[in-house]
Amino acid sequence: MSELLWAEKYRPKSLDEVVNQKEIVERLKKFVAEKNIPHMLFAGPPGTGKTTIAHALAHDLYGENYRQYMLELNASDERKIEVIRTKVKEFARSKVVGEAPFKIVLLDEADNMTSDAQQALRRLMELYSASTRFILTANYPSKIIEPIQSRCAVFRFVPLKREDITSRLMYICNQEKVVCRDKALDVIYEISEGDMRKAINILQAAAALGEVNEDTVYKVVGLAHPREVREMMQLALAGNFIEARKKLRELMINYGLSGVDIIKQIHREIFSSELKIPDEFRIIIADYAGEIQFRLVEGADDEIQLNAFLARLALLGRKVKV
Amino acid sequence: MSSQQYLPWIIKYRPKHINDIVDQEEAKQKLIAWLKSWEEGKIEKKAILLYGPAGCGKTSLVEALARTFKYQLFEMNASDSRRKTDIERIAKVASQTAGIIGKKLILLDEVDGLDPRADVGGVDALVEVIKNTRNPIIMTANNPYQEHLRPLREVAELIAMKRLSEKDVVTVLERICKAENLYCEQVALKEIAKRSEGDLRSAINDLEAAAVLNKRVTVDTVKAVAIYRDRVYAPWEALQKLFNATYIFQARDAVTSTDLTHDEFITWINEHIPTYYENPEEVWRAYEALSRADVYLGRIIKTQNWDLLSYALDMMGPGVAFARTTYKYRWKSFKMPEKIKLLAETKKSREYREALAEVLAGRILTSKAIVKSDVIPYLRVIFTQNPQYAAKIALGYKLPEELVKWFAGPRAKEVLSYMKKFKK
Repeated sequence: MSELLWAEKYRPKSLDEVVNQKEIVERLKKFVAEKNIPHMLFAGPPGTGKTTIAHALAHDLYGENYRQYMLELNASDERKIEVIRTKVKEFARSKVVGEAPFKIVLLDEADNMTSDAQQALRRLMELYSASTRFILTANYPSKIIEPIQSRCAVFRFVPLKREDITSRLMYICNQEKVVCRDKALDVIYEISEGDMRKAINILQAAAALGEVNEDTVYKVVGLAHPREVREMMQLALAGNFIEARKKLRELMINYGLSGVDIIKQIHREIFSSELKIPDEFRIIIADYAGEIQFRLVEGADDEIQLNAFLARLALLGRKVKV
Repeated sequence: MSSQQYLPWIIKYRPKHINDIVDQEEAKQKLIAWLKSWEEGKIEKKAILLYGPAGCGKTSLVEALARTFKYQLFEMNASDSRRKTDIERIAKVASQTAGIIGKKLILLDEVDGLDPRADVGGVDALVEVIKNTRNPIIMTANNPYQEHLRPLREVAELIAMKRLSEKDVVTVLERICKAENLYCEQVALKEIAKRSEGDLRSAINDLEAAAVLNKRVTVDTVKAVAIYRDRVYAPWEALQKLFNATYIFQARDAVTSTDLTHDEFITWINEHIPTYYENPEEVWRAYEALSRADVYLGRIIKTQNWDLLSYALDMMGPGVAFARTTYKYRWKSFKMPEKIKLLAETKKSREYREALAEVLAGRILTSKAIVKSDVIPYLRVIFTQNPQYAAKIALGYKLPEELVKWFAGPRAKEVLSYMKKFKK
């Protein structure tokens, strides 16, 4: 008896199973019929199916064992262009079994690459264009340098509509025989902000708690994003810096969160109505949170930076009370 | 009298009675209470690790303690005791009960002199001695927080002695001037005290050197003989110096006065900003300065531009010290940072999270970053709320047992037992 994450289990395997992004799918099916594809750039918000469709396309081109014809790279995990260069080189040179005239390099989240790295990538694309095709995905196409954009067929993925998501969730609920309230699906859509993957994850976690209704959905969201972050902020705002610092350490140990994870969650909390502070302080805090995040990304120490943030909260908190 | 043989002043003026010890009330009270507990047979820890900067009077205090309470003192220098026979000698004395010669007190001086490389078993041997002793043992050290002394920290009660203030040093020097019938300028004594930085032993040596030149101790003679000694400070002393600095240069010097790396010293400052400061404004200003120092150090590592180090040190020392809104000398006890102990734990936790992200990223076809932010939090809900269902998923992804243990936390046992059941 085993189970998979529904985000994997209900991912469309072939283009025929894809229910959204109709125009894009139509164009891609023509490529499959011609057995040839250009370099492509899939651009659009997270969870709209870019990576899934790239895999479905490869599946339709090469069949079940498509993954041996495809090199999957993720720019946000492999930031060094050197690593990408070596992997692409090896992959392009390796012999392909069967008759496929080209192989596919799927480079996810390419907009996370620096423009220098993208220049190097452009050369790679030219160098190996005889034997490989590149599919790049990006949330923000404007962050892809023009020479790459001009070499690619650009596909713009549109944000998923409410009914795209709710009908898919309903389908999954039926397959899994899970009781599921319409209102709950609306709530999931709101929380997921049109991100299908996130919506399915929330659905599965809610189903694990029992019936999928508004209560279980909210419970999941509350549990998923540790309350400790809010508690930590409230402790600091109440002037209890030492306890807030202790909470911070717990978060880092118990949840394995990094400094950046925590400051991002803090950012979400700043504008929540649960935090009772005057609006002008929210602006000051958000600004400082941004500064702290920048320092962390620059390579500063998680705990020292977040302590500085909490100390600032403790100071502002005193002014709130006055 | 001609029969009076020459004794160096530091020996001649050693405190005879515990009341002669200047300004170490806390350490005195703790030691006396501990000796009492020995006599009443209600000891919690059989040994004391008495620590403090050089020349603050650790050995003198123990000697005065023995004399005041009529103990026979067995003094051994621990740094000589690496030979097996020496340790055995200590062990023998320690194991004897109080007999005809009366109560015994064992002093192991300078245990931080044990060389962790040359003397691998030394610390363990001492721990054994302490466990089996029938007599009170006091150890002294400048810096008890060195890693190789950890076993000793665990079996002994730590008692801190503080670096003496300028005023304390002057008080003792005045006493000696009077006893030696010297004419001493007040400013001269102050100058000696200032240069001694709380090291009474060196102050007495300097006074004696100045008095040999001339029966009148003046500022000029002091300046001629007394030197500023280059000192290495233990971390908490350096913090004492840093936070209480009256001048910028003192705070700046404090930063480079320990044998810690900059990162390690930052950890100490990070821990103790709220120990020293109570006012939220000061706390924040100090942290802001420290975080700037941290940013500079990060840039140095990234760019290898070591010119920037100077700015990092400015922020670490003066930046933190002058975060204060008003100045008042405050003596605080600066303990070993929690963070050093927790570091290993956070590291482990992050490695597990990374491993889990690695497994799932390949399957859900997305980056580890997205898995960490959008998948793991919801999966954790399942693992902590529904162990049965979690077990199925764990099997689906063949998650190793220790990963499941970490991820399910308090529900780990249930998840693992369901996994066993489903496997069959």
